[in-house]
Amino acid sequence: MTAQRLSLSRRQLAVMAGRAGAAAVFAAASGRISPARAADSILRIRIGADIGNLDPAHIFQIENQTVAAQIYNGLVKYDQATNKIVPDLATDWTVSDDGTVYTFHLHDGVTWHKDYGPFTADDVKFSIERVLNPATHSPYGGQLGSVKSVETPDRLVARIVLEAPNAGFLHKLTAFNQGWLVSRKALEAIGEQKYALQPVGTGPFAFEKWTPGSEVRLSANKQYFEGAPKVDGLLFRLIADETAAAIALQNGEIDIFFALQQPEVIERLRHADGITVMDRPANHTVNLVLNGADKPLDDVRVRQALLYGINRKAMIDGFFKGTKTPAFSVLTSSFPEFTEQVPQYPFDPAKAKELLSAAGADGFQLDLVTVALSPYDKIVVPIASDLNALGIKTTIKVLERGAYLQARNKGDIPTCITAVVGPPDPDNPILSLFAKKSFPPGLNTAHYTGIEDLLTKLGTTQDTAARTAIYREILAKTMTDVPVIPLYADRLFLAHTKAVQGLVQNSLFTVQAYPVSLGA
Amino acid sequence: MLRYLARQLVQMAVTVLGIVTVVFFLVRTIPGDPAAYMLGDYATQDSVAALRVQMGLDLPLYVQYLRFLRHAAEGDLGSSVVTGQPALPEALSSLPPSAALAVSGIVIATIIGLPLGVITAVRQGSWTDFAVMIGALLGISFPVFWLGLVGILLLSHDLRLFPALGGSSTDSLAGQLYHLALPALVLGVSVAAYITRLARSAMLEVLNQDFILVARAMGVRERRIVYRLALRNAMVPVLAIIGVTFAWSLGSAILIEAVFSRPGLGSMILKAVFARDYQLVQAGVLILAIAVVLVNTALDLSYAVIDPRRRSQ
Repeated sequence: MTAQRLSLSRRQLAVMAGRAGAAAVFAAASGRISPARAADSILRIRIGADIGNLDPAHIFQIENQTVAAQIYNGLVKYDQATNKIVPDLATDWTVSDDGTVYTFHLHDGVTWHKDYGPFTADDVKFSIERVLNPATHSPYGGQLGSVKSVETPDRLVARIVLEAPNAGFLHKLTAFNQGWLVSRKALEAIGEQKYALQPVGTGPFAFEKWTPGSEVRLSANKQYFEGAPKVDGLLFRLIADETAAAIALQNGEIDIFFALQQPEVIERLRHADGITVMDRPANHTVNLVLNGADKPLDDVRVRQALLYGINRKAMIDGFFKGTKTPAFSVLTSSFPEFTEQVPQYPFDPAKAKELLSAAGADGFQLDLVTVALSPYDKIVVPIASDLNALGIKTTIKVLERGAYLQARNKGDIPTCITAVVGPPDPDNPILSLFAKKSFPPGLNTAHYTGIEDLLTKLGTTQDTAARTAIYREILAKTMTDVPVIPLYADRLFLAHTKAVQGLVQNSLFTVQAYPVSLGA
Repeated sequence: MLRYLARQLVQMAVTVLGIVTVVFFLVRTIPGDPAAYMLGDYATQDSVAALRVQMGLDLPLYVQYLRFLRHAAEGDLGSSVVTGQPALPEALSSLPPSAALAVSGIVIATIIGLPLGVITAVRQGSWTDFAVMIGALLGISFPVFWLGLVGILLLSHDLRLFPALGGSSTDSLAGQLYHLALPALVLGVSVAAYITRLARSAMLEVLNQDFILVARAMGVRERRIVYRLALRNAMVPVLAIIGVTFAWSLGSAILIEAVFSRPGLGSMILKAVFARDYQLVQAGVLILAIAVVLVNTALDLSYAVIDPRRRSQ
């Protein structure tokens, strides 16, 4: 909010001042604002939407994932700062020479929240088999699809046997979504349905209470195996509007404001007293998916023309005010496999027109389909105007989420905007967007089949360097075939008050409260 | 009296059944599939189909409707597809914050609106009348979310008098009221504009009637004429609008709830519609319908208290 607009509102408000005389009396009687910090140190974190399901087998959306990240552990986890895979509930692990047997040694003395007993290898077996069981309806069954069996030779040893070697397998077990471990005893006692909002984990905070439409409370797990957290509890406050959340942060009504999106709010908080703003590259790019099963998008020249014709730099500098960075492919710079050595397409309308003419696709009709979510429903406007300048007749179609999912799952829309948000596992965006097995209702709305041979090669390659080379080959291939246009690489912004200390920003779109302490 | 209540009860049952039926079919005409929503981005075709069967979405619509009615008659409104929890308790939990906001908003609106309405009617054509009516016009014209945002900017951000957020579940009663003050004030100011205008016109109508002229001719004091004779007669339409506004703010204070990050029935129903959470929408609308009917019944009864002529009817 600029100073000019603020003063205008004040002047307008003065008109009403007389009428609101009673209001002023009321206000004066209530005294001044007092940041209600109780004797207990409670860390207050803003979430932008309500939670609904904290069961790792069904969890999705960043609000659920952020709350769950405090409650659960996995066998392994991503280091918050470096994204390296490090031990979590497993102290160490070995992989058999043929790459099909993973043996994990577990921490001794870890207990489940709410007196559900000690954590054992049987819980690992239960967690994995539960996600794989078709009766669970877990959307993450495919992530663990390569698992043949889980054995428990000892109370503290879990052995996972794979159908075939899969060098990327550890990523599937990291503490995120299906990688979060649940207690057999707790699930059987609580029941599948109720468990969604009565989660039991081993993490630094235990679930307390959910108030629909308002807040989620977690209490510190004093018995946490890495030591008790430095705060007594967590309070997740639901504040949908970013401006309201920014004011609440400045008022000291909340401590951490993560997943900040609006450039204006980021700018405002950067200049606010007592507020620290952090940022780092996210794990996802935002992509315009081009349906290669449609004419004339089945012609690679047309797809390349669109890529040349969209002024992505102007979108980043103008609309996003520099809060996003250019995308070179569907991997961002937070992946070790990231490379800039891919075909590049600087904004070049003349070249775009040339390619369109060569393909005989001058002035074709194109629907730009997107979900009614900011910023996707806004960035389609500059995209449409860039494409119209090439003579393409675009129509913008903004669909409400339910209708959008239905259309995209059917797969017959010519374009859509898809961001594959998730852990720093390169398979996540690559398989989701480009593998034949991800055809709709999967996310491969492009109907792209150009990297099947490379994916097969990847499946049998164990060596890290060799795998990285294959991933880079895939990136170069997809930037030649252009099944999707990477519009920009997302960047994560987080703001917190001066009282918050020890916070490490991750690239998972969540916040890890465990290391945080609250100062004065 | 008993007969009246019985009639009211039957009327209420028919109204609620009608509303629930309309909502049942209406939410199902919105494109989008609850099963797909529930499974998220990584759903496979098989798992969506299996979940549809489990949720009964594969059955013909009339079978689903009959099933719903049978369960509803037993007080079971199904479970939310998002959370898996029973829908009725979840929907009910959003009623108290909505009711608190609506009641306090109406109280503030009445405190502001009723006196202003009376004063402007008595001093019709004066500068006071003119100024208040301009103010009321502005109050009606400004959208309530704008008033809310200005309220936050001025009273919370600049003057730091009020918090910008709704209360937290662990606040004391005083703390809850403190968090309620600003949203209630915004709702009150915006509703006060309607009440002022209505009270003014109702008062003017009564003041021009013959019995007021007679009273004046008999030398009854002006104060008594205005407050005892005219206001009491003008209260019936004013009460009607207060009742309607109360019912309205119970479900439609979504904008205020959104601006102040407060939970409430309106925002709960909105969230449920977005998630295609049919059961939660139905439960929310059912609660709202019952509340509206109850408020109207209470109003009907209160007319009899104010107006003795209606007692015999």
